[in-house]
Amino acid sequence: MDMTGEHTISAPREAVWAALNDVDVLKLCIPGCEEIEQTSPTTMEAKVVQKIGPVKAKFAGAIELLNIEAPASYTIQGEGNGGVAGFAKGGADVSLEETDDGTILRYEAHAQIGGKLARLGSRLIDATAKKLAGKFFDNFQEHLNGPEQPEEG
Amino acid sequence: MANGATGIGARVKRKEDKRFITGKGKYTDDVRMENQAYAAFVRSPHAHANVKSIDKSAALAMEGVVDVLDGHQLTGDEIGNIICGWAVNSKDGSPMNMGAWSALATQKVRYVGDAVAVVIADTQQLARIAAEAVEVEYEELPVAARADKALEAGAPEIHDNAPGNLIYDWEIGDETKADAGLAAASHITEMEITNNRLSPNPMEPRSAVATYDEAEEHYTLYTTSQNPHVARLVLSAFYNVAPEHKLRVIAPDVGGGFGAKIYIYPEEITCLWASMKTNRSVKWTSDRSEAFITDAHGRDHISTAKMGFDENGKITGFKVDTIANLGAYMSLFSSSVPTYLYATLLSGQYDIQNLHANVRAVYTNTVPVDAYRGAGRPEACYLIERMMETAARELGMKPAELRAKNFVRQFPHETPVIMTYDSGDFDANLAQAEAAADVAGFPARQGEAAKRGKMRGLGYSCYIEACGIAPSAAVGGLGAGVGLWESAEVRVNPVGTIEILTGSHSHGQGHETTFAQIVSERFDLPIENVAIVHGDTDKVQFGMGTYGSRSGAVGMSAIVKAMDKVEAKVRKIAAHQLEASEDDIVIEGGEVKVAGTDKALGWHEIGLAAYTAHNLPPEMEPGLKESAFYDPSNFTFPAGCYICEVEVDPDTGKTEVVQFTASDDFGTIINPMIVEGQVHGGLAQGIGQAMMEQVIYDDDGQLITGSYMDYTMPRAADLPFYSVHHASTTCPGNPLGMKGCGEAGAIGSPPAVINAITDAIGNNNLSMPATPQNVWNALQAASAAQAAE
Amino acid sequence: MTKINMTVNGKAVTREVSGETLLSEFLREDLRLTGTHIGCDTSQCGACVVHIDGKAVKSCTTLAAAIDGAEVTTIEGLADGDLHPMQASFKEHHGLQCGFCTPGMIMSGVDMVNRYKAEGRDVTAEAVRHELEGNICRCTGYHNIVKAVQDAATKM
Repeated sequence: MDMTGEHTISAPREAVWAALNDVDVLKLCIPGCEEIEQTSPTTMEAKVVQKIGPVKAKFAGAIELLNIEAPASYTIQGEGNGGVAGFAKGGADVSLEETDDGTILRYEAHAQIGGKLARLGSRLIDATAKKLAGKFFDNFQEHLNGPEQPEEG
Repeated sequence: MANGATGIGARVKRKEDKRFITGKGKYTDDVRMENQAYAAFVRSPHAHANVKSIDKSAALAMEGVVDVLDGHQLTGDEIGNIICGWAVNSKDGSPMNMGAWSALATQKVRYVGDAVAVVIADTQQLARIAAEAVEVEYEELPVAARADKALEAGAPEIHDNAPGNLIYDWEIGDETKADAGLAAASHITEMEITNNRLSPNPMEPRSAVATYDEAEEHYTLYTTSQNPHVARLVLSAFYNVAPEHKLRVIAPDVGGGFGAKIYIYPEEITCLWASMKTNRSVKWTSDRSEAFITDAHGRDHISTAKMGFDENGKITGFKVDTIANLGAYMSLFSSSVPTYLYATLLSGQYDIQNLHANVRAVYTNTVPVDAYRGAGRPEACYLIERMMETAARELGMKPAELRAKNFVRQFPHETPVIMTYDSGDFDANLAQAEAAADVAGFPARQGEAAKRGKMRGLGYSCYIEACGIAPSAAVGGLGAGVGLWESAEVRVNPVGTIEILTGSHSHGQGHETTFAQIVSERFDLPIENVAIVHGDTDKVQFGMGTYGSRSGAVGMSAIVKAMDKVEAKVRKIAAHQLEASEDDIVIEGGEVKVAGTDKALGWHEIGLAAYTAHNLPPEMEPGLKESAFYDPSNFTFPAGCYICEVEVDPDTGKTEVVQFTASDDFGTIINPMIVEGQVHGGLAQGIGQAMMEQVIYDDDGQLITGSYMDYTMPRAADLPFYSVHHASTTCPGNPLGMKGCGEAGAIGSPPAVINAITDAIGNNNLSMPATPQNVWNALQAASAAQAAE
Repeated sequence: MTKINMTVNGKAVTREVSGETLLSEFLREDLRLTGTHIGCDTSQCGACVVHIDGKAVKSCTTLAAAIDGAEVTTIEGLADGDLHPMQASFKEHHGLQCGFCTPGMIMSGVDMVNRYKAEGRDVTAEAVRHELEGNICRCTGYHNIVKAVQDAATKM
């Protein structure tokens, strides 16, 4: 499955870039992330618990940052093994554009699942992936900007 | 000697029912052995990958884990590869390309579900938890998930010895003649036809309980098998688990098979071997999602076909090109399904002189594909009957009229694709079905439906199948690795009760009743005095099992042969004791009598006499027990006509089968109640294939219809009451005149359904399954095409 | 482990079970009542239907520990005497072949007929088909099952 998205973050591009490369920030923002450890400047290992449809699994996996064009863009790629539940893997091309309001973060992501996850959860993967991506960027935005202010009306 | 109440033709209620309706049936998963451990398999989540490493340490460290075994240990113990038992050669004479299949993969996994290791633990739950702790490192490989894509240049190759993923490129018939027939045609109907991939789904998941007796070096396997003797033979001769005399296979009550329980799978092999390795009884029971990725699938053909007609509607030539998906490995009978069980039936009920079929069988990164109820014959029937209905529409003829113009009417009839039809009356089945379906009243019903905003359609299917599988020499000549006879033993006890030991296996067919009926008929005895013994290699001498609608035509024929021998001996004993001629002896009413006199012995007295042996004819051996092997001389050819009537809601595409009429020719019918039940079940599976069922893999080879949430099983509300009729001709090939009834419904019904829906919506371009979405899309395409005109 | 008490087929039963033990497992493995079958792992097939306090329930979706104190009837305990009318009708109408789905079908059928009778509704073929939505049979094509349930309704 593929998905794209765009978020405006009211923070300068450098700050957004730094956060995107900070394991502590990533740990806070990745839904279900239990631990994350930097293994090299561009690689990390993570443990994430996720529920897709009826299948709940703990994924142990590796995350790698590629095509780094600081502070404008990178590709983040991950692969998680959920044991008998199967596997999930995916990646996102993330780019940051500076604007008057702050930074526009754009991503093009794709995800693939296998094993039991695919058999039981394939109908739900699109919605789940969108929800997880949305949650990540909400968390990310919240981390940088503080909670969004409810619009006055 | 006929016994009207419980003999041939009587609607006897089933003897086996009581244990099933009271919850006392004994299925494999109900078996519990002393010291039983449980197996859980570690399976590949990838469709195609190299196995880099297997780390068992975490699992082995868990309390209650007995052992974790892998494929290197299995092959180290010289457990053999799983084989396909039917050798099919390509048209250039080269043998089929059979790739190695180890029960536990060592180097490479080839489909999602391919097992790489097995955990044996004290409880099932623990085994499953520990299986999760086995860490397998895979190196993923590119995937070929679809048969047509797997044949394309540059497709990833699944087995080293199958270049281009081609298993064989096979043909039958005369291509030159077929081309000439098409060239001479005044009209050609051409279609691309897909036969959707299915999962058999017997309701009882597969299960195995293996026990190794160290002192005796003997194994016992309880398993969900349609053919326990074949299982023992293959486990012994090819998989090297144990020699046959050291291996007992028991298939107790089995909860449906439909083909899926013919084969010997990695799990049974592994459980047997693991029971020896661990010195524990080892039990494995599949759950449903595991069944979807381990039970052999069925169908999955992609075909193009051309049929030519002359000005009078006579078929001048027929040419078929088929790609058959056999999955990642060749299962036991897989090679025969798209060849000898498919292309040999492409002549249908019709006199076709010029016929040619080419079949390419292909490896893909999917679950192995093998026989599923009908096995090849549904694919053939679907193809021909879609072609005939379409051709009739193109030619502006009534579908029944075009068929009748081409019916075979002289028997025996030799087709150009090696079958010799021995009997049938296709006109009679057509007429009976048309009358029962009130075809004459259809236009009025259609008009009435239109007033309600519904589109009503009518579709036919005139099927023929080859059953009673099979003459051993004939199938041997075609590459089969086994003979397909059947064996039986008739044991008359000293008190006169009878045990029938049969190599057929009942997993829903009601053999305990119907087999007893032919004994009740023959010896005019109460059916309660007859017991059927089956499903245990220690009790029954040998058998080839139940599939291919063979238990009546082949299994019962073996019983008849053994009863002939028993009767001959009974006559001799009676003649001796009653001082009469053997020719004057009659067996009736529980007695053995001298005709025209009051001299008689009770049937039980004959039994007792045989065993006391105080007064037997000179030289006669004591006892009253005879066995027989029956090898059929030909296939049998059940045939019939099915007519389906549907209503389509044009707003949603939702389709309802409002009437389904069947007229079958099964030859002699032993128990009409059971035969009708077989037809009902077959029709439900055929309607399921036509309207809802489909196994779907994504391009990465992930199965995305892996549970009952996504694989649509037909439910009660999806199906109608069926109108089932018989117009029979006697089969000349076997002593009872039987043809077989187990698969007909599944073979004949899918084209009738699709022909009815395409009739309703006015668009012939509709593939199975005809889900509301697919029907709606076809409707939209039809109206778009109409608008464009 | 939790200690549970229940009445199963009229007999008092006390056992220690773990919190995640399903009723279907408890019946099959602890009590060895193997007439309750397991045909799927997503609560679709209905082979495991039993009665809890008189109502049909899929025992594969019920935790044993959650029904402490309940009265459970399985296929083995359905008949009061030789055969329950529903069991007799399944035999009479050839409503079973392999027998695997049969216990669940019978338990669902009994529950349905009881409810319809209590509510004064007709047990029509359409109603039976609708009510058996949660029970899958692969052998019979449902034709004879529907007839069996309708016939049993006249005898219950």
